[in-house]
Amino acid sequence: MNIYVKLAYTFLGLMIVLNWGMLMGATMRKIGARVAGRHGIPFKQPWIDLFKNIGVRTTITHGIMYYIGPVFRLTGGVGLFLFMPAVFSGSPYGIWTNFSFEGDLILILYFQVFGMLGMALGAGEGGHPYAAMGIARGLAQHAAVELPLTLAFLSIAIQYDTFSVYKIVEAQQGGFQNWVLFTNPFAAAAVILAMLGALGHSPFNLVKAPNEILIGPATEYEGSYLGFMQSAGAIIHVMEAMLFMNLVFGGATNWFELILKTFLIYFWSVFVGIVFPRFKIEQSVTWFFKVPLLLGVLAILMYSF
Amino acid sequence: MVTPIFIVAIALGVGFSIGVLNKLGKNFTGGLVLAAITFMTFISYQWFYAFTFGEQTPTYVYTAGFKPPFSINLLMGQYEAIITLMINSIGLLGGIYMFNSLKERGSNAQVVYLILIMALNVIVMTRDVFNLFVFLEISSIAIAGLILLEKGTRSMGAGFKYVLATSIISSILLIGIIFSYFITGTLNVDDFISLSISTYKGGAIVVFLIMIAVILELKPFPANGWGLDVYEGSDPGFSAIISGASATASLYVLYKIMAFAGVEWNYYISLIGIVTFVGSNLLGIKQENTRRMLGYSSIGQVGLLMVILGFKDILGENTPYIFFGILISHYLAKAGLFWLSGIVRAKGLKEWAVIRKKPFFLFLMGTFIFALIGFPPFPSFFAKWTLVMDLVQSGNIVWVAAILFGSIMEAVYLFRWFGYAIKEENKHLEDFKIEIHKIIPVWIVAIALYGFGYFVSQLTEVSSTINFIPFAFVILLFAIDFLPIFVKNTVAILGMAFYFYTIYPQLDNFRLIFEVIFIVGGILALIAGYAYKGKREGFYPVAILMYAGLTGIIEAKTTLEFFYGWELMTAGSYFLIIRGHRSMPHGLSYMLFSLGGAYAILAAFGIASVGQDSISMSIINNIQYIPTWAYALLIVGFLTKTASVGLHIWLPGAHGEAESDVSPMVSAILLKAGVFGVALTLIGMGAENNQYSVLAYTLGWIGAITALVGNLMAVFQEDAKRLLAYSSIGQLGYIVFGLAMMTHLGWLGGFSYVINHFLYKAILFLTIGAVVLRVGTHNMYEMGGLIKRMPLAFIAVLIGIIALSGVPPLSGFTGKWLFYNAVLDKGWYLQGAIMFFSGGIAFLYLWRLIHTVFLGQLKDNHRTVKEISIWFLIPIYTLIVGILVYSAKPQWILQPLAEIIAPFFPSNQLVWNGGTAISHYGNWAGTMVMAIIGIAFLAVLGVQLISTRKAHKVKQFDITYAGERPERPETTHVAYNVFEGLYKAMWPATIPLVETFWNKITNYLHDTAGFTRRIYSGNGQAYMLHIVFFILVTYLVIIGG
Repeated sequence: MNIYVKLAYTFLGLMIVLNWGMLMGATMRKIGARVAGRHGIPFKQPWIDLFKNIGVRTTITHGIMYYIGPVFRLTGGVGLFLFMPAVFSGSPYGIWTNFSFEGDLILILYFQVFGMLGMALGAGEGGHPYAAMGIARGLAQHAAVELPLTLAFLSIAIQYDTFSVYKIVEAQQGGFQNWVLFTNPFAAAAVILAMLGALGHSPFNLVKAPNEILIGPATEYEGSYLGFMQSAGAIIHVMEAMLFMNLVFGGATNWFELILKTFLIYFWSVFVGIVFPRFKIEQSVTWFFKVPLLLGVLAILMYSF
Repeated sequence: MVTPIFIVAIALGVGFSIGVLNKLGKNFTGGLVLAAITFMTFISYQWFYAFTFGEQTPTYVYTAGFKPPFSINLLMGQYEAIITLMINSIGLLGGIYMFNSLKERGSNAQVVYLILIMALNVIVMTRDVFNLFVFLEISSIAIAGLILLEKGTRSMGAGFKYVLATSIISSILLIGIIFSYFITGTLNVDDFISLSISTYKGGAIVVFLIMIAVILELKPFPANGWGLDVYEGSDPGFSAIISGASATASLYVLYKIMAFAGVEWNYYISLIGIVTFVGSNLLGIKQENTRRMLGYSSIGQVGLLMVILGFKDILGENTPYIFFGILISHYLAKAGLFWLSGIVRAKGLKEWAVIRKKPFFLFLMGTFIFALIGFPPFPSFFAKWTLVMDLVQSGNIVWVAAILFGSIMEAVYLFRWFGYAIKEENKHLEDFKIEIHKIIPVWIVAIALYGFGYFVSQLTEVSSTINFIPFAFVILLFAIDFLPIFVKNTVAILGMAFYFYTIYPQLDNFRLIFEVIFIVGGILALIAGYAYKGKREGFYPVAILMYAGLTGIIEAKTTLEFFYGWELMTAGSYFLIIRGHRSMPHGLSYMLFSLGGAYAILAAFGIASVGQDSISMSIINNIQYIPTWAYALLIVGFLTKTASVGLHIWLPGAHGEAESDVSPMVSAILLKAGVFGVALTLIGMGAENNQYSVLAYTLGWIGAITALVGNLMAVFQEDAKRLLAYSSIGQLGYIVFGLAMMTHLGWLGGFSYVINHFLYKAILFLTIGAVVLRVGTHNMYEMGGLIKRMPLAFIAVLIGIIALSGVPPLSGFTGKWLFYNAVLDKGWYLQGAIMFFSGGIAFLYLWRLIHTVFLGQLKDNHRTVKEISIWFLIPIYTLIVGILVYSAKPQWILQPLAEIIAPFFPSNQLVWNGGTAISHYGNWAGTMVMAIIGIAFLAVLGVQLISTRKAHKVKQFDITYAGERPERPETTHVAYNVFEGLYKAMWPATIPLVETFWNKITNYLHDTAGFTRRIYSGNGQAYMLHIVFFILVTYLVIIGG
């Protein structure tokens, strides 16, 4: 495929993901509001927010790191998309596989941190205590989530003898009975529980912790910066869901399937979040060290003997 | 040739004439005594020369013109020449040292001193046991007299107990001699030998009585309370004579007696020796009085020499080499220390801090202590090496273990003492005065130690291969230590660069990697030294000493050279570490762990040499005798240096408290020496050999747990340098884990980490060290917002932490990617998961490091600090270029690495297609990934630049927090205990179990020593009872009940 065509498709895919992310975010907020007996925001609210943010006339900066923090964050989101095969079409070089052939699952796992780290540093230069508190909490929880997730991912990689996300998706084709969800239930269970932490909704939303530390790391950001972060957030939410979809739920062979699956995956965390109030860090961390960790270890032990 | 009878004649002649000539003044008589001893020394030297360089044969001297048994005969053989030379030389130096104190006590004291030296000569030379008895008595009376000359009640008590003890010993000896004459009709040692006295009826008793008396003279543990009091109570100048001359003579008597005692005694002599060596050194750790402690050490060393004599049949022709190697080190070093103690006049160990007021004396003290412990280049190093090799080869591993344990105990108290001298507060202590006649002997013995070290090293089987050039460079730097930093630093850098230039063509690629890290890394770290002002006394010799050791282990072709380099490195790094503020306890624990590790390596080398006809390094590839144990010992030894869990407790303090440019040296560079050792060991074990899979498997778990413990502990540190130190522990855990997999991918990952850790840990330690120099604190919560003042330092730390965390696109990801593949390939899933979890934890401390130091709120007292020194920035940014190149073109490093590893571990697990690395499990295109991320980043940045083009800069407190605009950075900077929540969840994992374990061991040893020490009640009657019990027990054990 011509590189320009590839780039065009990739950009288009990114736009789809961005807009789907914003719509999904709005939908979830609306669901949350309805459960609470409120009417909730209109579906177009994220776009209104984005244009408003980009349009504000006054912009401040606390310094260079503060300035490039959102750039890191958005690059992190975009990069995740670039290294992830989005829609399965039977070839690793298919039109919607982006640049996933340049790396594998390990690249995605470590690149996740790129945006997180960049934003953390940017927010840090802002000097607001809430930002630092949010980041400290987020990092602690991230480490705890990583343990069961890593075990589950390793188990899946052992199962299919590969780290290639594309190959893992390929191996799950041919019916839902081939999904990791059914072929490797322990790993799937660990992922399903651990991804609650990765998606960051209540009870694991202590990074942003509304009503407590405002919105955590982003507290000092406004205007275009906030717009960038919102966009990045929308992309990253879809990408996280897409990662779990690819690894556990058979991937997607078309955009509709992708949208449906990512919605359901994301909805799972919202569903839990609506039911349970926020954890403190120590509760959150110990929670991941109990059942999810046990499931992850079982998933590994299955292949160890 | 002057006949040795003149030794006696001169002494007696001068002794009697002083009675007449004392009217001429004490200076004259003192000079006469010294002249007499000089002549005696000359006689011994003349014989020594003739034996060593000529064809001299042993010569008998008959007194009164008759042959034995009608007269007494003296023998001057090679050993007699050496021993009398030693006695007379130390007598001469001691006489110079004590010139004034003997003078004060009158001409009689001078005569007694002369007679003592003469008596010791005769004890060595005489072949007549009754004559031996007489001169032992003369020496005892002389010693008692000289002890009593020291003022104070302690010396009175000591002298009295000494007289009591020697009376008992003499009585036993005399009874033995009487019986021996009764059953053989002769008193001549040579006759005893030819008649095989021990085969006579009652001969066993005779031998027992004579032998036990001689052994008691050597102050065996525990019947030696009287001897300890002597060391403590007498003039230190005189203690040196007892330790150096008297003990040496007694040892030689033991050797003479052993000739007719029968071989069955050998074992018991060794047994008594080892009990004395271990027991004395164990009790030494409880001592707070310097001279008494040195007494324990002296008695211990004599015990070790007894062990060697007992093993003389097994050690064979190496016996003299080993015996004299250890004896000479002990004899010179102990005399030097006793004399120093007389000059410094510090009783308690902590008071020795005063010695620092005259740094050259500290150097002398260090020389003597390192010689006693057996460090290179001193004779004891080579002797101990040969002893261990020979003992292991003859299957006496338990003995080796006991000897090494005793040596560690000795190191405990000597290095604790040395640590006090280097670090303890000394402002309140009164400076000591120097008398020139007291200093000259100390200088002479110190120079002699180095001289003999070189001489002894030339006698070893691989003498010619030991490379003394780096060590000579160390000496040069000592010589120019008075010059300013700029000159010394330049000389050091140029020297290292030139050395690297000359050495690198000789190295294979595997060794070259480490040599580059050691030497090129060392040069970069030294560049930072230009930032310091003044003279920085003592820094350069010890830094280069460490590098000399490091290059020594790389170049080593034999196990001896390797061990030589290893010990030099340990010594150099110890001095570097202990230079830091508050680093006294850490220096000690570093030294003890290092020594423990070194002895494990030594024992393993010994085991490896069994059944081999060389000591080439290649013998560890094919160990024939108990190979699993040997490899385990090697690994344990090397893991002390990589600070793996269980052996890691020395590291955080040692690295954290070290100076700013020393931390990268001992962290980024020095730790790799351990890695090099582990790698050599694993290569030796071989990839295909399933025999050692348990060992490798255990090592893998050690690596994984180390990674977890190190990273987790780093998260909860408030001190920036300790954080980095714990991080090093974790990173080294990764490396050990990777190597332990013993697969191509595992090694590739491990080596990728070796290089990466060197790059980013050097960057981080240098930068943080430089920041600490500017802000004057290690505590991160006292910093904050420094990005505003030190942007270049911030960028350096940013790149360092991105690389360390393994986030693409920087080089740290290389290691992560390789490890995931290696884990899947090897099947070590659970360990692998722990490793990856540790990697996740690393983000926490890395964020904490950069956030609390550089981001957040700038403190008022840092508003004017400057960017870190240019001399730090140069090496830092050089290393950053290295990281960027490695990140952009990982194949440039990984492909050659794969070629290096391929001979040891089968290849083809990683294929390169252009810039894409392809394994069985996945692929990764380093250059492309970097390009993609770079383009995405620039694109996003472009958009942001357009949309925020009107952004205006706001001030530090232009934020609202808790409803108001903050005014004080301290209340707004989130830095202290930031991971409190995580701690609440994970505190059980941070309980310092290992530290508690080692503390318990230490306490147990101290309690044992403290309890055992109670037998030394100070009561003379009790001491006599000990002697009687000792005789009784020995009798029951040897002769049987």
